[in-house]
Amino acid sequence: MQETLRRTPRPEEVEPTVAPPKVVVRNLQVTYPAGRRQVTALQDFSLEVRAGEFCCIVGPSGCGKSTFLRVLAGLVPYNAGQVEIRREDTARPLTAMVFQEHALLPWRTVLDNVAFGPENRGIPRAERYRHAREILTKMGLSGFEHAYPHQLSGGMKQRVGIARALANDPEVLLMDEPFAALDAQTRNLMQEELLRIWAQFSKTVIYVTHAIEEAVLLGDRVVVMTARPGRVKAVVPVGLERPRTLEQKGSAQFAALYNEIWHLLREEVDAALREAAYG
Amino acid sequence: MPLSGRPHMVERGVLRGLRDGGGLLSLLSVVALLSLWEGAARAGWIHEAFFPRPTVVGAQFAALVREGVLGEHLSVTLGRLFWSFLVATLPGVALGLVLGVWRTAREVVDPLVAFVYPIPSVLFLPLAAIVLGRGEAARVATAAVTSFLLVVINTTAGVRQLDRGLLEAAMHYGAVGWRLFTKVLLPGSLPWIFTGLRLALGLTLIVVIAVEMVGAETGLGAWLWLSWQTLRVRDMYAGLLVIAALGLTVTYGLEAVRQRLVPWQRGLEREL
Repeated sequence: MQETLRRTPRPEEVEPTVAPPKVVVRNLQVTYPAGRRQVTALQDFSLEVRAGEFCCIVGPSGCGKSTFLRVLAGLVPYNAGQVEIRREDTARPLTAMVFQEHALLPWRTVLDNVAFGPENRGIPRAERYRHAREILTKMGLSGFEHAYPHQLSGGMKQRVGIARALANDPEVLLMDEPFAALDAQTRNLMQEELLRIWAQFSKTVIYVTHAIEEAVLLGDRVVVMTARPGRVKAVVPVGLERPRTLEQKGSAQFAALYNEIWHLLREEVDAALREAAYG
Repeated sequence: MPLSGRPHMVERGVLRGLRDGGGLLSLLSVVALLSLWEGAARAGWIHEAFFPRPTVVGAQFAALVREGVLGEHLSVTLGRLFWSFLVATLPGVALGLVLGVWRTAREVVDPLVAFVYPIPSVLFLPLAAIVLGRGEAARVATAAVTSFLLVVINTTAGVRQLDRGLLEAAMHYGAVGWRLFTKVLLPGSLPWIFTGLRLALGLTLIVVIAVEMVGAETGLGAWLWLSWQTLRVRDMYAGLLVIAALGLTVTYGLEAVRQRLVPWQRGLEREL
């Protein structure tokens, strides 16, 4: 008995439920030119996201939260720091992004949009279609394979956007305010849908939003960012029970989390507004 | 409430007009013009030596078709149209796509396009004849020059109007290098390319006919010119009729191809 206590505990014994880190970001700095000036979007931004985690990022407008996702997606270069996404499988892409404005190719049918990533990776036609159909079925999109994006509603388009990302089977799923353009009811439905899908696919998700409520409902943790240049101000663990439902929004625990995050965010929003007013 | 309703109603009316205006009314206007012409000629208001009656032209047209003369000239013109259009469009689309994404090339080529484009196409015939010899190649090249530029201009514009976010998303999902051209830039700019093709097709026909008038012994243009020179006015009108019908047919043919290739395009044409 005494022997076991004296032994140095292994990491998983200290925090037995915590998975290994999937995304490790240290002291990230991103600047970009805006006219003649250099704007610093992110500075000393550090974050670890664990495998299988649903990590939400909230912050005031222009704080660089979307920039962070775009760095992870390889769409934006960074100036300093480290960004590491740990691979399980070299055949799979590191990231797949769900864009705010769905960004589906209008000349491709739903099926061909969903199969686009695998197509570019050289997966044979029969296999990528089979896989795409499977995902479309799981997403409740079967029957719409041959529709064009313009024939779909906003919510449906974004479902296809999520299906496209899942079909590429990324190590990490990136979501950039995917429901911001939807009406309130559709957004609620899509949030529930996303929770369901996430449970099915067990992906690591990094989800950027400016809606605190959404972040609390979806996330395992909510990362609060400062006004520009963006850093991590605080990380709030969301202890809400899973599987989550919209009904949890009414709970006292939910309200407490909401208030805590709003409190943290408020000064930053004020700072961002001042910045916008006085430049 | 009634006030706010009115602009909407007006708008609806205009849109309905856009949709329905095509069919019967258009046919009626053609019939009306021909009847007026026929009547005026019969009444002796216009000189029948220069403006033969539509019925007379029709009869002459039928006779020429039976003899096979018009068919021969038509097939020659059609061949020239085909090759000129091909020579204009394939390289035109390719260059347009490259210019769309390559700023430096655009800056080099833009002034050249602006310089050559306004030159009346037929004037290239002597130059083409010097370079290519006095034959079919020179005629085809002459008819292709300006159409080529039209296709280049429209294709470039088609690429330039593509949504930046869309390109970014496509590249994120692996459409880079050659795949970016074939899977994103080309299909994405197809609606604009087709606008260019339609303009180019009409223009190519015009220039082919013009080239035939000044520099060929066969073809509808040559037939037209010869008929005029020898004052066979009825033959000339019959030739005009064939050219007009040819223009109409190839334009609608291209439109049918467009609807096959761009079924995803939405806009007035689909909904109204």
